[in-house]
Amino acid sequence: MAAKTTVFGEVPNRAYHERFMRKAIEMAELALASDETPVGCVFVHNDVIIGRGINGTNASLNGTRHAEFVALAEIMAKHPQSIIRETDLYVTVEPCIMCASALRQYGIRAVYFGCLNDRFGGCGGVMNIHTDNGVDRPFPAYGGIFREEAIMLLRKFYVQENNKAPEPKPKKNRELKTAILPISAPNTATAGAPAPPPTTTNTPDLPTPQG
Amino acid sequence: MDSPAFQTSRRMLALKTKEECRLGNETIQVWAVELPSKHAEGILKVIKDNVEGQDRIDLQHLRRFAKPKFLPKHILGERDRIKELHCVPRAWETSAPAVMQASCENAVWDWSTPAKARTTTRAQTLYLLICPTNVISMADLHSLLLDYTPFASSAESWAYPLVIKEVTVPLLSPTSPAQADEWSNKYWPTFYRKTNPFGAHPVSMSKAEDELQTSECNGFGVEHALELAEEVAQITKGEGLGVGTGCVIVERVEGKPEIIAVAGDARYKPLSVPAADEPHGCSPGNVMAHAAMRALGFVGRKRLRVASGQVSKAAAKAESNFANVGLAHDETARDGFFLDLPVNSFEQKYFDNDNIKPDGYLCLKLEVFLTHEPCMMCSMALVHSRVGRVIFKHRMPETGGLTAELVRNDTGPVGLGYGLCWRKELNWQFMCWEYIQQTHGESEADDTTAASTVSQYSKPPMANETIVESSFACIHV
Ligand SMILES: [Zn+2]
Ligand SMILES: [Zn+2]
Repeated sequence: MAAKTTVFGEVPNRAYHERFMRKAIEMAELALASDETPVGCVFVHNDVIIGRGINGTNASLNGTRHAEFVALAEIMAKHPQSIIRETDLYVTVEPCIMCASALRQYGIRAVYFGCLNDRFGGCGGVMNIHTDNGVDRPFPAYGGIFREEAIMLLRKFYVQENNKAPEPKPKKNRELKTAILPISAPNTATAGAPAPPPTTTNTPDLPTPQG
Repeated sequence: MDSPAFQTSRRMLALKTKEECRLGNETIQVWAVELPSKHAEGILKVIKDNVEGQDRIDLQHLRRFAKPKFLPKHILGERDRIKELHCVPRAWETSAPAVMQASCENAVWDWSTPAKARTTTRAQTLYLLICPTNVISMADLHSLLLDYTPFASSAESWAYPLVIKEVTVPLLSPTSPAQADEWSNKYWPTFYRKTNPFGAHPVSMSKAEDELQTSECNGFGVEHALELAEEVAQITKGEGLGVGTGCVIVERVEGKPEIIAVAGDARYKPLSVPAADEPHGCSPGNVMAHAAMRALGFVGRKRLRVASGQVSKAAAKAESNFANVGLAHDETARDGFFLDLPVNSFEQKYFDNDNIKPDGYLCLKLEVFLTHEPCMMCSMALVHSRVGRVIFKHRMPETGGLTAELVRNDTGPVGLGYGLCWRKELNWQFMCWEYIQQTHGESEADDTTAASTVSQYSKPPMANETIVESSFACIHV
């Protein structure tokens, strides 16, 4: 549970990382414009983007072809695999358990993400694959960079998909919700009172991200 | 369970789920009271009518009424807590407390009266499980029951003093008849209701086991599938491509199995840009080329090939999105990275067969056979792909993602405890077994593959093994 709050801790040198997260958001926006799940990512090595990705599951009929893997394929076309050890990932939605494990096996240096992935998150959302005991070097994960934008993109996709359905859901489901719960500071509950539900992960209307 | 007969007839051992490991032994405190059988239903109604929340926690797996002879002795001998609470002896409490303690072997009523005559003529009694102790305080329960027959002041109450006992009972349903028996002896009479709140339904499990094991009927059972996985593992390893793990995916249509995908680990197949001079043992290789990931990729490829016009069109449109967002499109490099195409003729043979049912969803309900327990990446890939049944042969205690148990009494540490096959937090669960090695009739000595090192990881590695093999236990597969 602790990790759920620590991934939203202070991000050192935030402005630098926002620059690359903006690029990841742009990828997600492009995906949304193509009716693809709006999750985007970029891998950055020495201040240079070496790989970009959006979800590839619909094109491949392969449920494992997440944005991170698509980007890794682009990297490996031009670079030796060992470059990952000096590379950081920027992704709009927290990497899933599968991707987190893959990234750790490849030796990723750090991961920066927008919103948590309540369903499959591997960096604090559901599990802590990045820091659990294991045979590979752990990696740090920093969440919350452009979190609201990342969530809004997913909500827009959800509304868009519902409106395309042959029998649209009742109207209230189609409205775009714009209120996003703020991230509360960790452990600010009154001493002695029961802990409130973890609001950092509380995005109940977040559709299932495939990333 | 561990008899040789069991091991030879049943060679699949269902994996415990995370919740079975974590919650399976949880208990809860309840109030219980002994009362004459003829008043049992009446008092139960009093409880139901007056104790709010008495059924808030589902204790359907426990008998509500239990005959004293079926209760563990410690319940019969339990101290009378209410007596301690009130401390004021009632008229009929004439015997010394020592009598009560000495009477553990007998019906508890004996403590109040040394007169033997009455015990023999007393009516049948039952124990009523009232409710969890956190629902009502003992004092409140006591005063409630004192208002009703047979505990109310009446001629009968003299014979049936109100004794409220605090009893420990299992909180959750047992998941096997054996567990129900064990809990009945230890706690309170417990039913096995053929349900499993922490895993696949027992009926589905045994149906799956029957289907997988009746190889004589359909010619392709779990043994054959695992042999095939082992074969492809050794072929790709022999070609210098991988570490010697394999995966076979089967679709079962009306009981008839079709081999959809056969893939070996190929992590050492060189990429577009080869790795710097690193010996195999020091590099994870291409993580995408784990056997399970490749086999799942084969299924996607096959689905694309046999897809109807509509599905093909949708996939092609999605494919065009990569160009729309300006992603580089080096197909050779991409295929070389994902390795979701065969690397040898053995894999090719199964890959080329258009035997998958068209327009299915991902790997929904397919069966996956693995030489080794997959790593977390591959385990979660199986979840994402919605597979139905997974059987693996060798546990990977340091890297495996499916085992939920951390330690096992007879063999020590067995896994990391992730139990990804059945996690309520995730949106998909699948049945999972480990395959039990035949313990006799098979020579293990001539089996010097990496696989055998892992399966017997408690043994020291053999001296002539390479780095890859001796460190196999801690690599991801
Ligand atoms: Zn992922
Ligand atoms: Zn793996």
